[in-house]
Amino acid sequence: MRELHVSLNQTQKVRLQAAFQHLSDIGSQASSGLLVSVSDTIPVNNEDGILKGHGTSEHDGQVVATLCGVVERVNKLVYVRALRARYKPEVGDIIVGRVIEIAPKRWKLEINFSQDAVLMLQSMNLPDGIQRRRTVVDELNMRTIFEENDVICAEVRGFQHDGSLHLQARSQKYGKLERGQLLRVPAYLVKRRKQHFHDLEQYGVDLILGCNGFIWVGEHVVPADNEMVEDQESTLKDKEQSYTPLEIRQNICRIANSVRLISALGFAISVDAIIDTAEASKSSNIDIKDMLGAEFYVQTAEREVQKRISLLKKKRG
Amino acid sequence: MVGLSAGERQFIYGGIAQDLRSDGRQRLQFRPISVQTGVIPQANGSARATMGATDVIASIKAELGKPAPLRPDKGKVSIFIDCSPTAAPVFEGRGGEELSAELSVGLQRCLLGGKSGAGAGIDLSSLIVVEGKVCWDLYIDGLVISSDGNLLDALAAAIKAALSNTGIPKVSVSVGASGEDQPEVDVSDEEFMQFDTSGVPVVVTLTKVGRHYIVDATLEEESQMSSAVSVSVNRHGRVCGLIKRGGTGLDPSVVLDMVSVAKHASETLIAVLDSEIASAEAIDDDDAI
Repeated sequence: MRELHVSLNQTQKVRLQAAFQHLSDIGSQASSGLLVSVSDTIPVNNEDGILKGHGTSEHDGQVVATLCGVVERVNKLVYVRALRARYKPEVGDIIVGRVIEIAPKRWKLEINFSQDAVLMLQSMNLPDGIQRRRTVVDELNMRTIFEENDVICAEVRGFQHDGSLHLQARSQKYGKLERGQLLRVPAYLVKRRKQHFHDLEQYGVDLILGCNGFIWVGEHVVPADNEMVEDQESTLKDKEQSYTPLEIRQNICRIANSVRLISALGFAISVDAIIDTAEASKSSNIDIKDMLGAEFYVQTAEREVQKRISLLKKKRG
Repeated sequence: MVGLSAGERQFIYGGIAQDLRSDGRQRLQFRPISVQTGVIPQANGSARATMGATDVIASIKAELGKPAPLRPDKGKVSIFIDCSPTAAPVFEGRGGEELSAELSVGLQRCLLGGKSGAGAGIDLSSLIVVEGKVCWDLYIDGLVISSDGNLLDALAAAIKAALSNTGIPKVSVSVGASGEDQPEVDVSDEEFMQFDTSGVPVVVTLTKVGRHYIVDATLEEESQMSSAVSVSVNRHGRVCGLIKRGGTGLDPSVVLDMVSVAKHASETLIAVLDSEIASAEAIDDDDAI
C-alpha cells in the first residue's frame, strides 16, 4: 500500500500534534479494555484458574503480553487482541479482490489475506443467466466471464479445511467492477457494518468498502439482467465516447482522495466520514489534488476532533 | 507490480484524455515534492527527495584521484543507482539490476553529457586540484527506497539537492614537487568549498499514454505507457540530455513537441526544487547552530 507522504511546516506540525493529543484524550476516556504493549504484565486475580490465550505467555510466574493490543477477558480466558491485525475474514464478509489466476473450474483472487481466495465456477452466475449445470464448454469459456487482473466484488461463503477462503458471487450486485479505481487501505480501518455497497446518488458514484481493505470507487453502474457479453471491437472513437463524463470523474477523484486522506490519518473508514471530508473540501473550494496537501490534512484532523467532542457531549448530556 | 484490469485501464486513459488523473492532478502537474539535505552525515553531501510516494536518497563522496590522461583538466564523476528491496520485492537479489543499470546510464547521459565531458551539467573543471596529477573523484550513489513511478526525475532532484549540500575539503598543495612525482596534498578538515549547482539540470520525464503526455506518472500510469521521453533541462532552458524509453515508435514531430512541453514543465519544477532545497539547507543550518 502506498503511504501518503505529507510534508508539514512547523505550525502545521504543532496543530497536528495538538489534534492527535485531543483524540487520544477522548479515546482514553471512552475505552474499556486495558491497553498493553509487548512485555507488559497483565494483572490477574486468580493465577491458578487463568487460561492464557493468544498474545500472552508465562514469565517469572506472571502473565505477560506478547502483542500490543487490548486485554480481553472471557470467563477464565485472558487474551490480547491486536488492534492492527491482518485481515481476518468471516463468513458473509463483502470483499473486493483481483483475479490472479484461472485454475480448473475456479478463479484464484488476491484479497490481502495470507492465502488466495477461491471463487468456484459454480458460485458465479453464467452470462446468460440460466441456472444449469456447468459443462466443459463453460469451463473453457471462463475467460469470457473474468480474466486475469479483473477486479471482482464477492462475498465470503466459507472456509475450507486447509484454511483457504471460498467466495460466492451469485447475486446481481456482485461481479466485475469496471469504470473506476481501486484503492488499498489497511484492513483494520474498515469496520463491519450492515451496508458495504453505497450508491452515492448525489455524486453518481458507487462506493464499495471491502472488509479486506480494498475499496472500489467507480461510476454508478445499473446492475443489468441477462446481459449477453458481446465481442466488442471498438475503435478509438467509440472508446473515447464511452469515457466517464468529466463531472462524475471529478466526484470519483474527490471521493478517492478523501479515502486516501482518512486512511493516511488512521481514522476508521465509513461512508459518513468519506462524504463529510468530500463535502468539506468542496465547500472550502479546495482543488481535488490539494486534498492530499498538508493544509487540508491538518484541517481534517482538527475537524475529527470537533466531531468526537460533540459526540461525547451528546452521549453525556 | 500489480496488473490492472481492462476497466481500470480505460479509467486511466479516460482520465488522462480529460485532463483529470486518478489523484486529481492535471496532465502537467507534479506531485508534492519534499527535500531533506544532510541525511547521511558521513558523506560529503547527501539529500533525500520524495515525489508523492516515490522516495530516493542520493549521497556524494569525494576522494582524491588521478585525472584521466586524455582529460587532464577535468575531474571524474561516476553515478551509480541501486534499487533497494524495500521498494519492491522483485528488487531482491539481482532482480533490480536491470532497472538500476538503466537509471544509472540515464542519469549519466542527463547530467554528465558525452564521453569527452562536453556539455556536462556538472562543471568538471572545478574538481581539478593539480592539473594532470591530482583531481577530485566524485562518487554519486542513489538509493531507491520506495517506488511509485517517475524514478528518474526524483533521482535527478535528489542529486541536485545533494550537490548543493556537498562540501569539498580545501586542499593545499605543497610547493616544490618535481614534475613526475605525485605532489603532496594536504586535505583540510575544517574548510569546505561549496559546490556550484546553478548549472545542474533537472530531469522531466514525459510519459505518453494514448494521445497525450503526462508529467510525473505514478506506477499505474507508467504501466500503461506506450513510450516515455526524459529531458534534462537546465536553468537557462537549455536541453542537456535526452532519453527515449518504451517500445512504441514516435514520430519526430511528436518528440520535438514533447521536448518543448518538458522545457515548459521544467520551469515550475526548477522553481519548486530551488525553494525546497533552500528551505532544507536553512533547516540544516538551524540544526547545526
